[in-house]
Formats: sequence, structure tokens, C-alpha cells
Amino acid sequence: CSMTLFTACDKDFAEINTNPNAVSVPTTAYIFSKALYDGAANSGNKGSLLFGLMQYTTSYNDVEGFGSKYTASQVNATGGVFTNSYPNQINEIGEVIKAVKDDPTKVNLYATARIWRVYCFSRLTDLYGDIPYTDAGQGYNLSIFQPKYDSQSAIYADMLKELEASATALTTANTTTFGNSDLIYQGNVTQWKKFAYSLMLRLGMRLTKVDAAAAQSWVTKAIAGGVIREYADIAKMTYTSGGQNINKNPIAWQLLNDNYLRADGTNNTEGGKYQQVFINSLKANSDPRLSALSVVYVNGSASSDESIQKGMPATINGTKPSDFITYSEPKQTTVLKVDAPLLLFTAAESNFLLAEAALRGWYSAETATNLYETGIRASMKQWDLISGTTGTIAQARIDSYVAAHALKTTGTVATQTEQIYNEVWVGLFPDAQEVYNNYRRTGYPALTPNVYPGNATGGKIFRRFLYPVSEQTLNRTSYNEAVQRQGVDDLLTRVWWDK
Amino acid sequence: GNSHANVNKNTATHLPKSARLSIVKEIGGKVIAAKDASPVIGAAVFIKENPRVGTTTDAEGNFKLNLPENFATKNITLVITSVGFEKFEVAVAADQSSITVSLKENVQQLNEVVVTALGVKKDKRALAYSVSEINGSDFTQARENNVANGLTGKIAGVNATGLSTGPGGSSRVVIRGNGSLTGNSQPLYVINGMPIDNSVPGGSSLPNGLGTKAGTDRGDGISAINPDDIESMTVLKGGAAAALYGSRGANGVILITTKKGKAQKGIGLEYNSTFTMENVSVFPDFQYEYGQGDGGVMPTTLAQAQATGRRSFGAKIDGSTNYMAADGKNHPYLAQKDNLKNFYQTGTTFTNSVALSGGNDAILYRLSLADLSAKSVLPSNTYNRKTASLNISAKLSERLRAEAVVQYNLEQGNNRPIAGDALGNPNWMAYEVANTVDVRWLNPGHDANGNEIFWNDAGIVTNGYFFVNKFKQTDTKDRFIGQASVSYDLLKNLTLKATTTRDFYNYNFTSIMPTGGQYIPQGQYDGIKSDVSETNSMITAAYNTKFAETIGLSVLGGANTRQFKNNQFDFYGQGYTIPYFYSYSNLATSTATPVTSNIKTNSVFGSADLDYKGIWFLTLTGRQDWFSTLSPKNNNVFYPSIGTSLMLSDVINMPRVIDNLKLRGSWAQVGGGGPDPYAINLAYSNVPSASGVPLQNVSSASITNAGLKPFTSTTLELGLSTRLFGGRLSFDAAVYDKKSSNDIVSVPISGASGYTSAILNSGELSNKGIELLLEGTPIKSADFSWNTSFNFAYNKSEVLKLADGINTFSIGNSANGNAFINNQVGMPFGGIYGYRMKRDAAGNIIYDTNSNLPLQTDNNQYLGNGVSPYTMGLNNTFKYKNFSLDMLVDGKFGGSIFSVMEVYATRLGLMKSTLPGRENGLALKGVTANGDAYSYTVPVANLRSAYYNNLNRYTELFVHDASFVKLRQVIISYRLPAGFLKSLGVQSASVSLVGRNLLILYKKTDNFDPEQGLTNGAAQGIESIGLPRTRSYGLNLNLKF
Repeated sequence: CSMTLFTACDKDFAEINTNPNAVSVPTTAYIFSKALYDGAANSGNKGSLLFGLMQYTTSYNDVEGFGSKYTASQVNATGGVFTNSYPNQINEIGEVIKAVKDDPTKVNLYATARIWRVYCFSRLTDLYGDIPYTDAGQGYNLSIFQPKYDSQSAIYADMLKELEASATALTTANTTTFGNSDLIYQGNVTQWKKFAYSLMLRLGMRLTKVDAAAAQSWVTKAIAGGVIREYADIAKMTYTSGGQNINKNPIAWQLLNDNYLRADGTNNTEGGKYQQVFINSLKANSDPRLSALSVVYVNGSASSDESIQKGMPATINGTKPSDFITYSEPKQTTVLKVDAPLLLFTAAESNFLLAEAALRGWYSAETATNLYETGIRASMKQWDLISGTTGTIAQARIDSYVAAHALKTTGTVATQTEQIYNEVWVGLFPDAQEVYNNYRRTGYPALTPNVYPGNATGGKIFRRFLYPVSEQTLNRTSYNEAVQRQGVDDLLTRVWWDK
Repeated sequence: GNSHANVNKNTATHLPKSARLSIVKEIGGKVIAAKDASPVIGAAVFIKENPRVGTTTDAEGNFKLNLPENFATKNITLVITSVGFEKFEVAVAADQSSITVSLKENVQQLNEVVVTALGVKKDKRALAYSVSEINGSDFTQARENNVANGLTGKIAGVNATGLSTGPGGSSRVVIRGNGSLTGNSQPLYVINGMPIDNSVPGGSSLPNGLGTKAGTDRGDGISAINPDDIESMTVLKGGAAAALYGSRGANGVILITTKKGKAQKGIGLEYNSTFTMENVSVFPDFQYEYGQGDGGVMPTTLAQAQATGRRSFGAKIDGSTNYMAADGKNHPYLAQKDNLKNFYQTGTTFTNSVALSGGNDAILYRLSLADLSAKSVLPSNTYNRKTASLNISAKLSERLRAEAVVQYNLEQGNNRPIAGDALGNPNWMAYEVANTVDVRWLNPGHDANGNEIFWNDAGIVTNGYFFVNKFKQTDTKDRFIGQASVSYDLLKNLTLKATTTRDFYNYNFTSIMPTGGQYIPQGQYDGIKSDVSETNSMITAAYNTKFAETIGLSVLGGANTRQFKNNQFDFYGQGYTIPYFYSYSNLATSTATPVTSNIKTNSVFGSADLDYKGIWFLTLTGRQDWFSTLSPKNNNVFYPSIGTSLMLSDVINMPRVIDNLKLRGSWAQVGGGGPDPYAINLAYSNVPSASGVPLQNVSSASITNAGLKPFTSTTLELGLSTRLFGGRLSFDAAVYDKKSSNDIVSVPISGASGYTSAILNSGELSNKGIELLLEGTPIKSADFSWNTSFNFAYNKSEVLKLADGINTFSIGNSANGNAFINNQVGMPFGGIYGYRMKRDAAGNIIYDTNSNLPLQTDNNQYLGNGVSPYTMGLNNTFKYKNFSLDMLVDGKFGGSIFSVMEVYATRLGLMKSTLPGRENGLALKGVTANGDAYSYTVPVANLRSAYYNNLNRYTELFVHDASFVKLRQVIISYRLPAGFLKSLGVQSASVSLVGRNLLILYKKTDNFDPEQGLTNGAAQGIESIGLPRTRSYGLNLNLKF
């Protein structure tokens, strides 16, 4: 650049200012895969929070034990899912939708992406209640830096509408799919349709407390559309064992990394173990899943001997108990298996939800007893997927468990509902978030809260997560509107469908 | 000698009548230097009664002054001035026609030729802005490894702090307040007129830095400079002074002029050696009444001891013998007050430098070699710096000159301490260990297999000895700074110059979190490899002339092109497949991420300096910059500046006590482009994936801005300087008003937008301030002298605008988010924000009846200023014969600091404030949210878990006034007598006792040094258990042959 050639002073700038490690044109399928990984990972199942709250696990340590002890000093940890979700899966699925929505040849890509967006948003709103939805993820496209929070009722209405529209739009007549970039169904349009209707069933049923008529209407629609009933149709993310952490089963990896890398039963990084309540229940019910999911370390090796399984009480105040090694912990070859698939929507869940629908008289093609029993069998069978070996739970034990836990059709609806959701507690494990959602809606399983010194809730199981504190600063007006509408931003305020 | 005039009375001056009409009288004479009677060339000679009647001396020092008619028959006063000499006035009687004047050299005057922007030397009289200069020798006796830390307290308006991150750590220097809301606010460092890179490889550490990368301060660019090579350091505080640097001068410029050879016989040899030791200087004032344990119970089993390794909520300390500590042994239950002394060692720094110099009329050279070897107070933490510097300047012909400067630096660090969060931070154990544990019981921190010994309830809080003995961090920075210039005098007064410089370094950082750690049992790897270069090429043409003997004009024009490149790879991995084998090739999960940065700025610039008789000066500068980082539509900007100064004392008659009085004023607009490249267009990057399914996402969580345009910073400065009592007292004052507009801000935004920040041209920030400098020589005699210098500055910063609709955002936070450093409209830059306890109108604490804890306010409560607005320094030098004593006291006032150490010391029961309730439980009294009276007693058993452990929710409890006054530096020197030395062939020799940071004369923090900072980023005002600050003392030897 010289004084006489002002115009030439910037001639190579465009090239200099181009990032050599990035492209300007996205490959939509690759972004879709990333959205799937991130959406599956960033849920209430990340970390030990809901595992503790639903009394699967605990720790003698206050920080890790927050979920089971509601420790006041750790409450802000609940903001993490919100923080992580938007710049990741919400942003990514938005990029995918932006790229495909106006292209009629990509009708299946568009519909698939919309279904995934509903999945992602449903996981978020169920934890927090009102959240940024319409305005969310529009920082780049529309320069919305302080997105408004939508009411949960509006979000549910839109999510259900989206599911219906996407399920209808999916067509086998068009063969353009995400193919192998689709880590759930590898582009199988028929299965995506079932997933969409299954989510409709899940979200529809969520409305029973707040709007039973709407719930019935959506549940009926979902059933008519066809939900996941078969083992082969289970919506699941696939993972690998080596390589990058993003390719690993996020629940297994997190549990492993937080506590169980040493696999010796004693040097658990954050003092984690299964909680007494969960293991006692499995033992009391002679549940064959106990040996599929739990071990105790004896002389340095993992034992699944059911008779020695023992959960740790959640009331231990900070000190590692001297019998720490004798408590049960997740099994390395199943729950902690990083290349196990993550089950997003199982046949078991459909059956349990249908059983409730049958109890409510919203579904009459099958009986509640049959659906409930099918649900239990499906939930036991799915350990084959998790363990990677068939027959993980012996058929004989399944049969005897089913026989011993028949639905008490002579009992009240409440009794039968409790039976169903006690099964959901075990049957959906480790999807603690969906168990938590059903717990809040139905009250089952009837967990007894832990009362621990310095707890934030007065010894109550909390009803929602706190918004990240940064929202109070960076998105103050919208945040205040949401709090005004929904109630104080604390752990005991109930979300709309839980009122 | 004193100036004197030999007057020759001329009795026979008979000029023709015709001539008498125009040249009525001629005075001839000669001006010589008093020292050696050599002619003084170019001295101004004029008559006081009318300064327009004047001339200058020629090459022989002779002058001829023609007096007009009205002065020809009067007695007049002749004024003779020349740079480097004291102004001299002499009465000339009407009948005198010839005079010889000898001028006294003025050492202070000599110093007042200062280096200004682009290396241009100017008479201080001509400066329209405040410039401060420090001699190189100020950095070489009581040394700071990082020369920038040596600026602390020395210059009004310069806020310099060294970080508590061990030898080789970074500095933070801010001149006249932070200039950018989120960008860089540190000055540009320039060596011999050309910029160098001052970045921290891999980025500055963070105040909440977690782990080996974000928590390690890897040292900045200025830390590599050898103080022995510095001839002088000039601080251009910004605005007009730095306007010629355009975009990069917005935060001020620090000019370093390195030493050159001198023409002499033989070879000059200089040797300087300094050995210093350092020790921890501040010890926390913890409670030693109740010992290790929880719920009022002392641990008696290993499990209890491990669970309570960091808890001092035990029984009354009574010497019990059944107490067990985390080493599994019984010890008497006694207070252990010396854990900091026992964990840290005496640090040492040994610096040796040797310089050879010499030359003749044609060529001058200087070669220096230096080695600095430091052992930190933290065992295993070492730092070594080797520097070699060669400066050659040659006069190739009468018109052609060439100069080359080559510097090679090699910096090697080992186990730099991790600060910020707990993981791998060796300081957390030393500070947090329960008060009845002797920290040495936990040595060596690992078992025979190399696995970390469990010493507390949280695996993330690394055993400090495990860090010392097993963590492996090494870094190497090979740096080369080369400069070459050629200048050619096209005419006698027109010089062309071409310069090119390259500051290049190759950096290699590896940090191993070993196998066997409690928190990351299979280990973790962090690495950075980078090649960073800053290349500048500049051409200039300088022309000067004089009109009508009274008006001087200097014109400078030039062009510069700057290119910055960083080619970096970040290596990260987890899980050593073969345990204890620490190779990147042995990781279960690993990623290598390329980080590239390429920036170019092209510039043309010019300046014009007008000088009217050395009385009135006017400077105009202009610079146009083109930035590669900005939108092609708005990628260039013009920066003007104008400045003027007036020697008022030469215009109006002043009282005798006033030697001179100068007024000055300047206005400048500088600014800059985007600090980071690739901020214009949305881009997508691939994400490492092992599943065979490629992954991609947007490249940056920051929203790009296609219209990005330059920011501007406008400064108005007024100043006054005066010298009184024959130079015994001088005073300088400056006021300034600096406003940054269209600041390129990486605005943190709600993550719900899909991004965490947006790059906007929206910030407005104001800094207004005043700077005072008072220097004096109260005593001056042949044997004894006392020089004193006091500087004071106040800077008021105010955030005027962030972005549309955004009133506040955070630029950093403490570990666990207990405190935030925010920028909020209407408030000072970088305030400390967080939660308070909720109180009713009467001041009663409002309690949550569920948790029995005080309710929290929102987290936007302003709790203090993270940056001290007042800074001052007082330096006194006493000289008695061959002895000298130099003492620097400095202080900062008005800032605050949030202490993470106190957060934990509260949660863990070490603070004296946790004593209430130890015997009978803690009675809480207040009101409920409904306004009802509330009372509750926290039982002793739950005192920690139900109460004190949760006090981290109330930020206000841990924010303190960070004001201090320190005895920063003491140097006691003895200069050996010359006679004795001569016999040894030594020209001069001195021995000094030196000390740095010796005493804190005033502070408001009981438990830590208020300067306990750990990052040189924008978020200041957080203490987070970094390496403790130290006092150092030692010996310096200087020999010249």
C-alpha cells in the first residue's frame, strides 16, 4: 500500500479476513447430526441432578448430592441445561430448518428437523416452564438478543401443532432424507412418523392436570397416527466407544466421568452411589433389572449378585461412610457403557402412556392390563439394546415379575396409576427427566423427600429448575415478564402443566 | 562552571553613515560550552526586549546580531538558549559590540529531549501533551522480571500491576482508564519505533480459570524484554501523543529505546548481577479456636479426617491426642498457623547480564547477553529467560545510515501455578487446609503408585503436593525480534527512512494433569503450539526548515503496513491409555484444533510541527488506517490530532522564582479496527467426530457483524508545567477527557438468542481524569542531595452505552459465579456486582423459612469498583557522597476486590467471622417475607452445612476496599571510589541492597494482599487463590570496564 494508491490499500483484505478453518456454506446434514448429538446430551439427565432427585443415585458429598439433598449452595447448577441448549441444539436445528424449509424437494428433511426441534424444546420447557421459544435462536437471523419468553401453554400448543404438521408432511414418496447423518433412524421416514406421534402422545398426556380435554384430543390423535410399539421402532441415538466424547452415550459418559472411571467401588470421584430408595425397591420387587444395572465391588471385582446390592442413604452429611465400598453403583457394562444407544422414546413408554389412556377411557382398543404388561416386558427387553447382548434379562424372570406385579384392576384408578408410574420409574431408567415429568404430573412414584440440613426447599422435592442467573442481567425485561407470569424463579414454583 | 560573559568594550566602531540607516549596530560573539569550551552550534540568540530580533550560532559557535535603530543606543538584555543548556541572559550595554558566552550544560534539560511517536525526538518544550520518561537504570537495580511491573507507582495515570502468578507472569498496564468495554485496554509496546506483540499465548488466564489451560498465566510479550537493554522508556498516555500510531495508540503507547554503542576507545564492558530472594508477604488472619472437624466434632477416624480435610468446624482446640488427620495418623489437636510458610519456599531470582559496546565514527555496536533464573515460592515452579541482543548502527556515508537490532529471547517455564478455580490449583490446599493440620503431613500428596492422596471431601481440590510432585507443565517461547532500517539524507534537511521489523515467536506449551488424580483419574492433556508474528514495514520522509529565522517547520510523512499472524494448534485430550505415559499419542480421546488469525492494517500518516522561536509550538498529525478486520464498506478511517504549547514565561514577565512556565493543549481522535479477524461473516466449522458421521456447527458463538466499522477514541487534554527556583522544583498537571465511541464490543447476550455474544459497534465509554507530578530537590550540596518526586492521578470512568436495549453485561466472574465483573450504563468500567442479603426498610434481614437462610437480592447489586480510580507514587532519593538511598512508596485507592479465598474460608470455618454459634448454635433473627418476626437457631451440628457453607450466596460479604499504600521499592547503593577502581581497570562499580514490595503500609483486607490479581484480562477485582504475593530483597552489583 502506498500513498499514491489509496484504492489498493485493501485489495487483499477479503482473502486475509477469511477464516481458513471454516466454510461459508454449511452442509446441512452435518449440522443436523450435531443437533442430534447435542439435543440428546443437553437434557435434565445431564449430571446427577435428576438422578438424585428421582432417588436413583446420591453422594455423601453436598455438591454432587445436590439432586438428592437440594443443597442451597448449589441451586444455580439447575440453570445449566438452559445455558447449554440454546447455543447448541436450538441454534443448530434452526440452521437446518433455515436451509431446508423452502425447498420442496427436502420435505422430509424439513419435517424431521421440526420433530427434533420439538423434542429439544419439550425437554427445556418441561424443566423451566416458560422459556424463549418463538424468539429463541434468532440472534443472527433477526438480531433478537433479548428473546421474549413464551408461556408454556403457548409452547405446548405450538409443539403439538408442529408434530402434527411434520408427521403429516413426512412422505415415502420423496426419497431425500438425512440418510446416515440421521443417527436415530438413518432416514427411515415411517419410523420418524411414529416418533412424531409418540412425542404427541407424551406431550398430549402431559396436559392431563391442566387441560384434560386437550390431553384427550391429542392422545387420541397420536394413537390414530401410530406410535412406537415395537422394539425395532424405538427412537434411539447410536454411539461409539472410542474417539470424541460427543460420540459417546452422554448419560453413561457423564456418570462414568463424574464418579466411576476407576471402577473399584471406593475411589468414586464425587462420592456417588445408587440411592437406598431405588435399590431397596428393586430388591423388594425381586426386579431382575437389579442385576442388569447394579454392581457391588467385592475384592476388586464387580458383582451383580442381587443379594448383596445395597443403596446408600441420601442423608449422609459430608463424610465418606466407612462401608462406602459395600454400596451399589451403576454397572460398567450397561448403564455406564459409552457405546450403548441412548433411548429417546421406547415402546415401554408408549405402552405405559396408553395404559393410562385406557384407564382414563380415552383408548379402548386394548386393555390397561395388557398395555401395562406389554410395557413391563418391553422395558425389560430394552436392556438387550443397552447391554448389546440379547437375553440380558432372562425370559423366565420377566414372566415371573409380570405375574407378581399384575395390574390391580379391581383397585381404584389412582392405585392402578401408581402401579403404572412405579413401573415407569424403573422402566424408563435412565431417562430421569421423563420420570420426573410424570412424577410431577401424576405424583408417582410417591417418593419421600430427603430432609437435609441446609436444603433450599424446606425438604420438598423441587418442581422446576432455575433460569440461569445470566438471564437476570442479559435478558432482564423478558425474564421479569416470565417471572411475573409464571411465579417466582425458585425451585418450588410449578410449571403450567403441573399447576 | 557558572555561565559568564566576557565583555569586550569596543571603542572604535565607525560605520559609514549610509549603513547606519539599516544596520544600526552589530553585536558579534561566540557561544561556547562551559564544560569544554567547545562551540555551541545552533544556539538561539535574541534580545529580550523584542524576541523577533534574533539569530542563531554557526558551526563555530559564532553569531552576528544586527540591532535595529531603536535598540542601537540602549542597554539591552541578550538571551541565549540552546537545547541541552540552561537559558542564559546577559546585559549588553549600549556601547558593547562583542561578547563571548559560555553556557552551562543542563542535565535536566538534556533529559528533556524525549522520544515521541515513531521514535521522533522532540524538545519537551514543544510537546503539546504529557509524556513521561523513565531511565533504563530504574529497571535494573531492584528488578521485576517483567519490566512493565516496574512502572507501578512511577507515572501519574499509569495503573500497572503485576499478577500473582509466579516468575514469568504477565502484567496489566492501563493508561488513563480502560479504553474498551470488552476489547484490549492495554497500551501498545514499541521498541525503537516499531511495535511488538504483547499477547499472552493461548489467551489471558480467566478469573474463574478452571484447569491447566484457562487457569494458567503463560506470560505476556513484554515479560521477555531484558531491562538491561533499555536506555529509556517513554509513556505516551494516549490522545495526541499516540495519534501517529493511529488505531493502536488508542490505549497509549509505551516506547522502549534500547541501548546503543558509543564511540569510544576500546571495548566498553558492563556487567550487572542481581540476586534476590522472595517470601510470602501476607498471611491470613484465621481463627485458631476451633479445629478440624464438622458439627463441633473433631475427627478421630480416617474417613472423618478425609471428609473434613478442609473444614474447621470441629471441637475447641485443646491438644487432644485422639485427633486423626487425613494422613491417617494421630496428632495433637493443636493450631497450625504456619501452613503458608511451610508449603511455600523461599523463592530466588538470579540475573546476570553482560554487555559489550563500542565503535567509531562509522560504526557503533552493542551486544548484550543476559540470563535470568528464577525459582518461585511454589516448589517445582521455575522460570528461565535468556536474552541476547545486538544493536549495530553504521554511518555508511555522510548521507546514508543503517541500523539493525536483533533480539533473541528464550523463555522456559515449569509448573506455572494454576489459579482461579480449584482443579490443579496448588494454592487451595495451602490456604484452605483445616487449621489443626500441618500441611506437610499431606506431603508428598500421592501414594507409592502415584495416585493422589485423598485429603478432603472434594476431589476437584487438588492436593498441593500432588501438583508439585506430579503435575508436569512446561512451556518454551523462542522469540526473535529483528529490526533493520536505512536512512538517507536526500537533502541536508530531508531524510528518507525505511524500516522493517518482525517480532516472531514460536511457542510450545504442554500441561499434564497426571494419571491418578482424584478428580480426573485417567489424566488430561492440554497443549498449545503457536507461531505468532507481527511484521511492520514503514517508510518515512522527514523534512525540516526554518522561515525568516523565526519559524521552524518539521514535516513527516510515511506509510506503514502491519501484518499479524497466529498459526496455532490447541491440543486437548483425556485418559492416558497407558497410565503415567504422558504423550499426546497415548490419549483415549484427543482433539487438535487449529486456530488461525490473520490481520492486516495499512496506513499512511503525516505530521507537521511548527515552532515559533522556541516559544510557541503547533503540531498537527493525521493518519489513515485500512483494516482487514472490518466490513469492506467501512474499513478505513482518518485520525486527526492537533496540539499546541506555549512557553508563557517567554512571552510575559514572570516572577524571578519561575524559571519557565508552559501551557499546552491537544485534541486527538484515534480509534481502531476489530481486534479479531473473521467477525464479518457467518461461517461454519467441522467438529471432530469419531463416529463416521461428520459434524458441523456455526464457527463462533459470537454473532458476526457484516457492517463492522472502526471505533474512535477522542481525547482532549490540557496541561501546564513549570520549573521554579532554578530547577529545584517542578510541577506538571494535566487534565483529560477521553471518550470511546462506536467501541467494537463483544456484547454478551442472552444465550437464548442461540449465541453467547454479538459483535457490535455500540459501546461508549468515558474516562476523565487529572494527573499531577511534583518534583523537587529540597537539598542539594556537594556531598548531600535529596530528590523527591510525587505523582498522583485520578481517573473517572463511566460506561455511557453498551448496546441498544442492553444496560448491563458481565465481562467475567469468579469461580462458581459468586461475583461478577460487569459493565453497566452509568457506572464505572468493570464494577463488582453480585448478591446482597435481602433486607426490609428497617434493615432487618429477610429470611426464607424453607431454607432458614437470608433471601438473596438479584445479582445486579453494585458492590464496588474493580479498578482503583486513584493512584499515586512518591519517590525519594537521597545521596550522600558515594551512598544513595532510593525509596518508592505507592498507593491505589477507591477500588474494591472480591475474595474467593474468603468465600471458602467462610464455608470451611477458617474465618473469624464463623466463630459465632460454635458453642450453643447460631441464633438468627430477622423477618420473614411477610414481614413477621423470624428467629431460628442453627444447631451446632449443622452450623456449617445449614448456614456458613451457604454464605457464598451473598457476594457483599466478600467484597473489600482494595486501597493500599506500599513501600514498593528500596535501593541502597554504594558507588565504589574511582581511585581504587582505576587500579583494577574498572570505570565504575556500585553495589546495592535492593528490595521490592517490602511493606504494606496501609490496607483494608485482613487476609490477603489487595493486589492479589490473577489475570491481565479486563475483569479485575477478583482474588481467587492465586500464588500469594511476595516481598523480595537482594543484592545488585554493577560494574563498568
